[in-house]
Amino acid sequence: MNNKELEKIAKSVRKTLFEIKTRDGIGHLHSSLSCVDILVSLFYDDRTNFNHEKDIVLFGKAHGSPSIYPILADLEYFPKEELDKYCRPGGILRLHSDASIPGCHFVGGSLGNGIGYASGLALANRDKNYYIIMGDSELYEGSVWESLIFISHHNLTNLKIIVDRNGLGTIGETEKMLKLEPLEDKFKSFVGDVKTINGHDFDALRDIFSNDIPQAIIADTIKGKGVSYMEGKWKYHVVIPSSEEDIKTGLEELS
Amino acid sequence: MTQRDTFIEELFKIAKDDKDVIMMSVDMGASSLDQWREELPEQFLFTGISEQHSINLAAGLSASGKKVYVYFMAAWSARCFEQIRYSCALPNNPITILSNGVGLGYAPAGPAHEPNEDIAYMRSLLNIEIHCPRNIPATKELVKLSYKEPKLRYIRLERKYDTRFDLDAGSLHGGIELLKPGLYNNKNRTNKPKVALVSCGYMLGRSADVWERLQSDDVETCLFDMYQIKPNPINNNTFNDFTHIISIEEQTLSGGFGSTVLEGMSDNSINKPLLRIGLPERYIFENGDRDYHLDNNGLSVDSIYSKVEEFIK
Repeated sequence: MNNKELEKIAKSVRKTLFEIKTRDGIGHLHSSLSCVDILVSLFYDDRTNFNHEKDIVLFGKAHGSPSIYPILADLEYFPKEELDKYCRPGGILRLHSDASIPGCHFVGGSLGNGIGYASGLALANRDKNYYIIMGDSELYEGSVWESLIFISHHNLTNLKIIVDRNGLGTIGETEKMLKLEPLEDKFKSFVGDVKTINGHDFDALRDIFSNDIPQAIIADTIKGKGVSYMEGKWKYHVVIPSSEEDIKTGLEELS
Repeated sequence: MTQRDTFIEELFKIAKDDKDVIMMSVDMGASSLDQWREELPEQFLFTGISEQHSINLAAGLSASGKKVYVYFMAAWSARCFEQIRYSCALPNNPITILSNGVGLGYAPAGPAHEPNEDIAYMRSLLNIEIHCPRNIPATKELVKLSYKEPKLRYIRLERKYDTRFDLDAGSLHGGIELLKPGLYNNKNRTNKPKVALVSCGYMLGRSADVWERLQSDDVETCLFDMYQIKPNPINNNTFNDFTHIISIEEQTLSGGFGSTVLEGMSDNSINKPLLRIGLPERYIFENGDRDYHLDNNGLSVDSIYSKVEEFIK
């Protein structure tokens, strides 16, 4: 699949996310939009090593995990109609994904815990690959670094850590509020094998997911990617566009 | 032998035949662990001082079919409360937590090491069982139960306990057991109080001493060991024969053991007076061993006896 096709899918995923989130104004649209290209690369680019029928994707940043729902629906993990029932009574898709949803593998919603849980899965199933998508602000949780010590010692190379480095926390920029940099060096000192890429560049994503995948990938992303007025604006972490004009603009940009 | 070493040794025997049994030490040692580390290194995980990660890791292993036992100091159970709730209770990933040194068991280490609230916070979780074995036979039974019927379990192990109870069997049926019966069973004694002392763990020893003194005072008294905190084992027949119920615990009273008794009674419409005896609502910043602290914080045998005497007057 070429980049244009991947970009088209990514746009469609973002549009669906925008629609289901703005319908009732529930969830974290901003955080969901930043990691879409990473997921599209994994699930749709046939030149990567990822195989969704065998490999497992987990979310540390489960508030962004609805980004996987349109993809799982497209791949027939559940009926597409479920997308219309997102966060509504009777629907199976929740604000934070959990293991009751086909294709999802962890109770989501508490930051800093997914990586430890994933390390247990990876240790018990060395022949299986696990990918965990973490938020950069999730890295403030001390439990993350406890887990990294363990992952490094046990050489759990079947667990790939992808940091959705959109640079924003709930109320501002990470580097202004409480700096995380030099992030790559920090990861390197724990797990050694780390690369930083542009998380919206399908060439870079393909390259990283098709060769020897590093233990940790810092994917520089833009929070709110795809909707110009949301991109990189921290206030949208908990705000979902609600005005007629904002919704119209968002849908136009994603169409 | 300690409850901890008994548990680990018994489990070791099972683990030798089952590679899925994993023992995890959160930087805790035990003489019984040495053999495990030497002979079953693949089934031993050292996780360092990382309670949060250790519970998450255990949950992931459990989700993969492993039978995981996490061994740490009871005081640190609060430190990974969120992980126990989030990674184990919510998704129902069964692991066994060996919480060693409950109550004032680590005195004189100070209040940081002395969890006097763990019953209260742990029993607030869903999908969890909480056990307080009184002796070696009960500890061995818990090993079997945890292996055969995996569940999220919080097992409160005593560093020391009253070895008088090692003579008793270790049945786990019912969750509450009549440990010392009343000396009288005379229905004509209608005007006399019939007292049920209810306790668990270390406090059973002091409770037994109080029981003995009350008996010699001609007060019909029974002593119950409520070794299972959750699910609440009290039913509507538990205290049929009694006029006064007294809970005795080495915890503060907010939501602890006595509260469990109170809830059990309330939920079963047992409308009888209950006296809860426990530690005062304060952290103890004083030097002294466990017995010293108990003696000086309202839990000496004399003090408990006086409170009971006043209560049943």
